Amino acid sequence: MFAAENGLRGDPRLKGISEAIRVVPNFPKPGIMFQDITAVVSNHKVFKDIVDIFVDRYRDRASLWSGSKRIYICSAIALAIGAKFIPLRKPGKLPGEVISELYELEYGNDCLEMHLGAVQRGRRALVIDDIVATGGTLSAAIRLLERAGAEVVECACVIGLRGRVISVAKRKFILELLN
Amino acid sequence: MSTLSTLSPQKILEAKIVSHCYFYSANSVKPSFFLPKPNTTSRRVRPLIYRGATGGAAAPEPQPMSVANMASSNVDGTDDRISRISSSIRVIPDFPKPGILFQDITTLLLDPKAFKDTIDLFVERYKDKNINVVAGVEARGFIFGPPIALAIGAKFVPMRKPKKLPEYSLEYGTDKMEMHVGAVQPGERAIVVDDLIATGGTLNAAIRLLERVGVTVVECACVIELPELKGRDKLGNKPLFVLVSSA
Repeated sequence: MFAAENGLRGDPRLKGISEAIRVVPNFPKPGIMFQDITAVVSNHKVFKDIVDIFVDRYRDRASLWSGSKRIYICSAIALAIGAKFIPLRKPGKLPGEVISELYELEYGNDCLEMHLGAVQRGRRALVIDDIVATGGTLSAAIRLLERAGAEVVECACVIGLRGRVISVAKRKFILELLN
Repeated sequence: MSTLSTLSPQKILEAKIVSHCYFYSANSVKPSFFLPKPNTTSRRVRPLIYRGATGGAAAPEPQPMSVANMASSNVDGTDDRISRISSSIRVIPDFPKPGILFQDITTLLLDPKAFKDTIDLFVERYKDKNINVVAGVEARGFIFGPPIALAIGAKFVPMRKPKKLPEYSLEYGTDKMEMHVGAVQPGERAIVVDDLIATGGTLNAAIRLLERVGVTVVECACVIELPELKGRDKLGNKPLFVLVSSA
């Protein structure tokens, strides 16, 4: 679901967020239009608005969070709602025992890892990422959490690419819709 | 900080750097269970206490941290927080290579209070210092940096390994690091945040990159310092603020 169609239509914060997102052509490979979210965190007001929107939505809903590889916003949201933050990372980055999940990317393959024992069975979780395209990364994140016994309540993303097949079976909450 | 007024000038420099800094030593390395409980870890938290009478910093016998032992009223509020932070960090041996004791902060992130305290301690220090930019170093600096930036009204600027940022990036020397051109303006005041300082190479590269575009780096802030690696020396004249020092 997209924020503008679900209670946030006309919310002035969404316009600021949209304007702050930079699109860079041909990065990391020719033909790819890269949605650069770093400019968003360089703008204090826009960053705060994004965090506020997610916090308002999730404050009373999830007791446990999960981050994604691109983690500018995740820790701030987890902090604001008092939830645990679990980084999901490329192989080799997390020390100690991990569980891994292979998945396909829009442009290649990748693998996501999570610490064994980071989440307890039955806990409720959210997955956050800055952008969803095919949903491959989100699907891998969901599988990791479910393998560990957590219940994934929702996936929250700042940017969703319209027109792509979003095959993730879980509900998604997306702030901004881009072509 | 009220301790500063009771110290001689040469001690003030140390106080600025090491205040709020608790030294602990890992007596043994725990096998990896995920959530160390406070007070049952193998670490001893030895508070660094400034006493006017003895004229300097001393590491006394381990004592219960009562109010009477604290020279400064500022430290009262922080010692519970810091001991909780310290005991929430787990040490993983032989990662990423044999012989290295890795300081893993992911367990700190699973303790919302400890994570909040960590951020609060940095925010308290920087919120009235007119900081425009919080620069965070990939990747764990991205966990601590953004919440600090949000809380103090600064912008967060990620500093990344090369090829992660699209186009128009600056690079610095052999410690390769990138930042967006235009992310910062000359004259802005910045702090550089990372989870840990070891040799200081990464922080040094970040400082140089920021200074090259005219930014004033006010201080570096880390959760953990490994003092044996003398990273502090690599920072030149830039002060370093840490919460926990791991000998």
